[in-house]
Amino acid sequence: MLASIIASGLAVGAVYALIGITYNTMFATSRVMSFTAGQLGMLGGVFGSLFTLRLGLPILPALVLTLACCALIGVVTEIVAVRPVLKSLDQHLYVLTTLAVALLIQHMTAMEWSTEPQPFPRLLDLGSGIWDEKYWLPVAVCILTILGLEYLYRRTLVGRAFVAIAEDNFAARALGLPERNLRIASYALAGAIGALAGFAGGQLLLAFFANGPLLNFYGFIPVALGGLGNNRGAVIGGFLLGLFQQAANFLVGGIFSSVAVFTLFIIVLLAAPQGMFGAQAARRV
Amino acid sequence: MTITRRALALGGTSLAAGAAFSTHLATPALAQNEPIRIGWLAALTGPSSAPGIGFNRGVLFAAEAINAAGGVKGRRVEIITRDTQGDPTKAVNATQEMISQLRVHAIWGPTNSGESLAVTAIMARAKMPNIHPCVVDTLIDERRYPNAFRLTPSNTQWDDAVRSYCLTRVNAKKVAVIGDTTGYGVSAVNASVAAFQRDKAEVVYKANIDATQPDMTPDMLRARNAGAEAIVFWSVSTGLIARLLNTRANMNWDVPFVGHPAMSSGEVGSLVERPANWEKVYAIGYKSCSYDASGNLPPRTAELVRRLAGKVNLQDSLLWWVSSAIDAVELIAKAVEASNSTAKEAIIEHWNGLKAYPGYYGTYTYSPTQHNGYPTEEVVMSAANSAKNGAFALAPGY
Repeated sequence: MLASIIASGLAVGAVYALIGITYNTMFATSRVMSFTAGQLGMLGGVFGSLFTLRLGLPILPALVLTLACCALIGVVTEIVAVRPVLKSLDQHLYVLTTLAVALLIQHMTAMEWSTEPQPFPRLLDLGSGIWDEKYWLPVAVCILTILGLEYLYRRTLVGRAFVAIAEDNFAARALGLPERNLRIASYALAGAIGALAGFAGGQLLLAFFANGPLLNFYGFIPVALGGLGNNRGAVIGGFLLGLFQQAANFLVGGIFSSVAVFTLFIIVLLAAPQGMFGAQAARRV
Repeated sequence: MTITRRALALGGTSLAAGAAFSTHLATPALAQNEPIRIGWLAALTGPSSAPGIGFNRGVLFAAEAINAAGGVKGRRVEIITRDTQGDPTKAVNATQEMISQLRVHAIWGPTNSGESLAVTAIMARAKMPNIHPCVVDTLIDERRYPNAFRLTPSNTQWDDAVRSYCLTRVNAKKVAVIGDTTGYGVSAVNASVAAFQRDKAEVVYKANIDATQPDMTPDMLRARNAGAEAIVFWSVSTGLIARLLNTRANMNWDVPFVGHPAMSSGEVGSLVERPANWEKVYAIGYKSCSYDASGNLPPRTAELVRRLAGKVNLQDSLLWWVSSAIDAVELIAKAVEASNSTAKEAIIEHWNGLKAYPGYYGTYTYSPTQHNGYPTEEVVMSAANSAKNGAFALAPGY
């Protein structure tokens, strides 16, 4: 039982962590919590199934196309739901606009794809039991993604520009950084990361339009637990959430496990409002 | 010539009076020849459209067959269809249009319980004869809705059939009852658990699982550890069903699944990891639409299938959707024929007197105090993975 809890807990935790990173990537350059993150994860599964099973493409081209499509949707989100409300961030209008786009994506998927879950293919056909690829693949992809992002942010010029925008938007613009282009690029990157979450977790979650709200909710928890904008915190928060959720599933059953998860979430936020790994924000008085 | 307001008013009044007079005079002739208008509330598009399309094929087939044979005492059957898209609001609008503008003589549908809950009271107020295939128990209440008749089994009848199969044919004395977290899933699980306990069976595990939960191992392990000998399942979620079946296979557990007809949906077949995972799954079916051990349908159904051949596609539909819709249209036509009237009261009175009416889908018996007309003994369990031309093989034990 313990092995099963760990295998499935880490797998769903990795998917939640990747959605958390999607939230963070969009937040870093725009200060907007875009509620399209979960839908991008859902689309990763749907596009993956579409390109591989319906259109018969090999896995690699299907993955590339999935990432490209979701990156494009990320860019469209930036243009239609984020950019128009950036001037009035304090009014939190982005909640409305990004939720509207999320709903649009979900309903379009329901109409054009299916309201029933559709199969997702075996990707590598490796492993069985608790070593089945559906458990370890999301974990591996999550680790590779966080390593890739660390490399991007620390070793590349574009990555450093992202960090500069995230640290101080005004100063970065004053230095001549193309803030708008970098923001568009970060939304494209977030779209690709969300797609990766859905693609890697497709065998667990299936290609199902209703996965969007689920990932939106459970992907937000690692962000809150790990500290807003902190990717390493989101990864640790995601894995902890997955393990706790699966343990609660085993111990108290499906319905009550959601209650247990949200109870723990509230307790953690009461104890550490900035998240477990977030720094206390200094406020000038 | 100048048209004054007085002349216009006088002219208008004369025209209206003339029209009313002529209509009044013409009424008897029209009533004898006017078509029998049957309102058909169909979910032809949207998420629950698969049954709607199947029912529609039966409706059109029945209407064409009756009209080709000269109609009902010379009167044609006219089907007036409105696509509700499975949306209760659209169903309400269509019902009101059928009652007040289209003046239909009877309504068949809606075909899902959510819509039916929204329109049943409206039809009752208009005393509109209504026959529908929805399973929620509260939709039939002979005192509040004396106009509403159920063509299919109720939820309770489904539950009785599943329980009977588990206890007498699978010989399972310890069962796990599992459903989803929707209103339907929760109420169906509670009702099923209570009924098993009334029959002195032991419900060793009860769970409502979120349909999007990715891993079913916890629930299946708990059910196995509790000693479940059969899993009774209540949900329409094909993803949930497939995950449970895949988990059962991964656990090398061969416990039978018994329950909701959704377990026999083709979607489940595409979601299970191996075809073998779909074995030992017994979904609710109907005797009239089941193959016996020799692979034959009952004679009356076989005759219907021969008539349908080349006219109605059964490859992507269920036979009971088609046959029950044929029965619905024929029940309305027979009521008009027997009572020689399209009056609402006459149709309802005829249905209230039906005893063992032999339809294709079932043998119906209604009375003023019982509008659940489908016999429980005709509800059977089918082997979920045995679909062929819209019908299923009987589950083992029959």
